[in-house]
Amino acid sequence: MQKSTIQYLLINCLLAIVLISCGSVTKNYIPKKLDKTAVEVPYFSDSKTDYVYKTNITVYGNELSGIFIAKKINDTTHRIVFTTEFGNKLFDFEISETTFKVNSIVSELDKKILINTLKEDFRLLLKKDYLIQEQFENEFFNIYKSADGKRDNYLFLTKKDQKLEKVIHSSQIKEKFTVFFNSENNIFAEKIQIIHQNIKLKIELNYFKSEN
Amino acid sequence: MKTKLFLLTIFFSICQTALIAQEQKMTAAEIASFKEDVNVVSKKIKTLSTDFVQYKHLDFLSKDIETSGKMIFKEPNLLQWQYKKPYNYSIVFKNGKILINDEGKKSAVDIGNSKIFGRINKLIVGSVSGNMFDDKEFTISYFKLKGQNLAKFIPKDATLKKYIKQIELTFDKEEATVVQVKLLESSDDYTRIVLKNKVINAKIDDSVFTN
Repeated sequence: MQKSTIQYLLINCLLAIVLISCGSVTKNYIPKKLDKTAVEVPYFSDSKTDYVYKTNITVYGNELSGIFIAKKINDTTHRIVFTTEFGNKLFDFEISETTFKVNSIVSELDKKILINTLKEDFRLLLKKDYLIQEQFENEFFNIYKSADGKRDNYLFLTKKDQKLEKVIHSSQIKEKFTVFFNSENNIFAEKIQIIHQNIKLKIELNYFKSEN
Repeated sequence: MKTKLFLLTIFFSICQTALIAQEQKMTAAEIASFKEDVNVVSKKIKTLSTDFVQYKHLDFLSKDIETSGKMIFKEPNLLQWQYKKPYNYSIVFKNGKILINDEGKKSAVDIGNSKIFGRINKLIVGSVSGNMFDDKEFTISYFKLKGQNLAKFIPKDATLKKYIKQIELTFDKEEATVVQVKLLESSDDYTRIVLKNKVINAKIDDSVFTN
């Protein structure tokens, strides 16, 4: 009898934890009727633009700086290259929603876990089309929930001018990482931060204009 | 008739342009005299400062990525490479250390006896001063251009070769100094650095090489 009570309590506690965690992204937001079923993100969508950013990567206290370059090379795919300030290529990827190709990577960075993390990060960074299933709101944002395989993306668009300011990538249990965008004109983002919640990884991108 | 003449003129001017742009291999005697000229000049270099413009060419981009700044070298092995536009980033090679100042954020890397960094340091100084004619390290070929000489270096070392396929140094014929450095990663992608306003042997204080 006593044993079953303890079990019951344990199950209850676990259930409570799971329920609280489940709602962690949206728990402070109010559900709302869908006002759209799709969101389009413009920040890396123009095939004529060379997206060039001065970049700092902080991973477990180690700093790596360089230049991040992204270019849309066809309807589905971006080419992304990361070089040192001197111009040496550190990695060169081709990435779409369903495909991923490593054109080159220096041996120091050639680690499966790192490549997979970068792949997930960049895929979300470059993603243009989101299908929306649920919507929430708070004082400043409309929050759109978009399924992403077993996980979800939460898009935060300002109520004032419909600008995408952040995307939270989350599992059913907890937030994995967040992409923050700063955009003046809602066409491209001058400043971007990718911050991981479960590992100590932060990627900061600052747009720069070449002089020519 | 007029059209024919016109076409002929165009044809000849194209030929001429192609001829000027074409690289002509140097003879053994020309190579010897060119190397001698460069060695004489580079041996005299105690300090060197130069402005540079760097063009990163990636074949899939519509424009080269342009950055610029200043490079300062002092014998025997103090080197500062400073980007000023469009961002501030400076790197100093000094006493086995690399000091980095990235928009005010400072860091240092101890390279100690790291062979690869020693080699990079030597490579940068060699590229700018021109004194890089080491047949043990590179397979070198020599060409003549209009008013310029061109030396192409293919690394022999496998590690270095992974990063740099070929280095091309362009020299001003009169002054025997380097005016352009081109680092080729592949046939399509390269970094081209144009050196301007070079000053040789001006007094440069050691304190310049802090970051």
